[in-house]
Amino acid sequence: MADDKDVLRDVWFGRIPTCFTLNQDEATEREAEPYYLLLPRVSYLTLVTDKVKKHFLKVMKAEDVGEMWFEYEGTPLKWHNPIGVLFDLHAFNTVLPWSITVHFKNFPDRDLLHCLSNTVVEAHFMSSIKEADALKHKSQVINDMQKKDHKQLWMGLQNDKFDQFWAMNRKLMEYPTEEEGFRYIPFRIYQTMSDRPFIQKLFRPVSPEGKVHTLGTLLKEMYPVALPNDGEQKLYQVVIHGIEPLLETPVQWLSEHLSHPDNFLHICIIPVPTE
Amino acid sequence: QSMTLSVTPAQTAAWRRQILEQLGERSKREMDNFKHYEQAVEQSVWVKKGSM
Repeated sequence: MADDKDVLRDVWFGRIPTCFTLNQDEATEREAEPYYLLLPRVSYLTLVTDKVKKHFLKVMKAEDVGEMWFEYEGTPLKWHNPIGVLFDLHAFNTVLPWSITVHFKNFPDRDLLHCLSNTVVEAHFMSSIKEADALKHKSQVINDMQKKDHKQLWMGLQNDKFDQFWAMNRKLMEYPTEEEGFRYIPFRIYQTMSDRPFIQKLFRPVSPEGKVHTLGTLLKEMYPVALPNDGEQKLYQVVIHGIEPLLETPVQWLSEHLSHPDNFLHICIIPVPTE
Repeated sequence: QSMTLSVTPAQTAAWRRQILEQLGERSKREMDNFKHYEQAVEQSVWVKKGSM
């Protein structure tokens, strides 16, 4: 079991080396140097980029500064998805550091939610946790927690405190001994080649006949195109936290160990790069 | 259809071992050459808010 605890730590402490560059069209008083940071994979862009904002504001006039937003190769980055999901979905097979463009004007209202303070991120994060617990335990665990316990989950994420977060999150990962897992697995499947934000449906960890559901059975039901046909070349990579788990991996184990702090298993389907 | 729906102990070992190996490779790929980068969230400071 020690190995499984290591998985939780590896997932939590995953970092994406990132180079932030100011959009060329922004009005500056002098040249803006790029800014380099290690971003936590499990956090949110708007939560961990105070330093980036401060850095670029130094070269800008206050009247030219609107709400900060981020773009990667023409795609506005949706801050409400975890950073690791954004990276895996848009930049998984590219050379590091991840190169993100920073904007302070022309906020793309049609693509992004506004986020003017951390309380917006907190509300989004807590609502995801509540939705996940509704699927896993009919909301019983999250409703039995006190306000301070909810705060501990949030503060653990915000301040990158693994022990503080997991002291509380472990309760959300438990299930009755007479059961074989959660009621339903909270998962979301993202694809690059679709306008659909994600696929999310009810899916149990075990079949009615008692067979363990795996990543393969989940994809077969939700997104069969992602699976390779016998003898044919693989067309898609199935990526979770920057790795490609075997299709035989049980979804219950994935949900307990490779979920993001929001308690959802975020699965990215990306086309295999062509040479 | 070659997909296996049940999980045997041998396969269990294989999928778990593969995840641990890949997480190790991920750390090398994404972190080993970038240790000099600044952390977005500082670990050394314990941030405490007064009101809960």
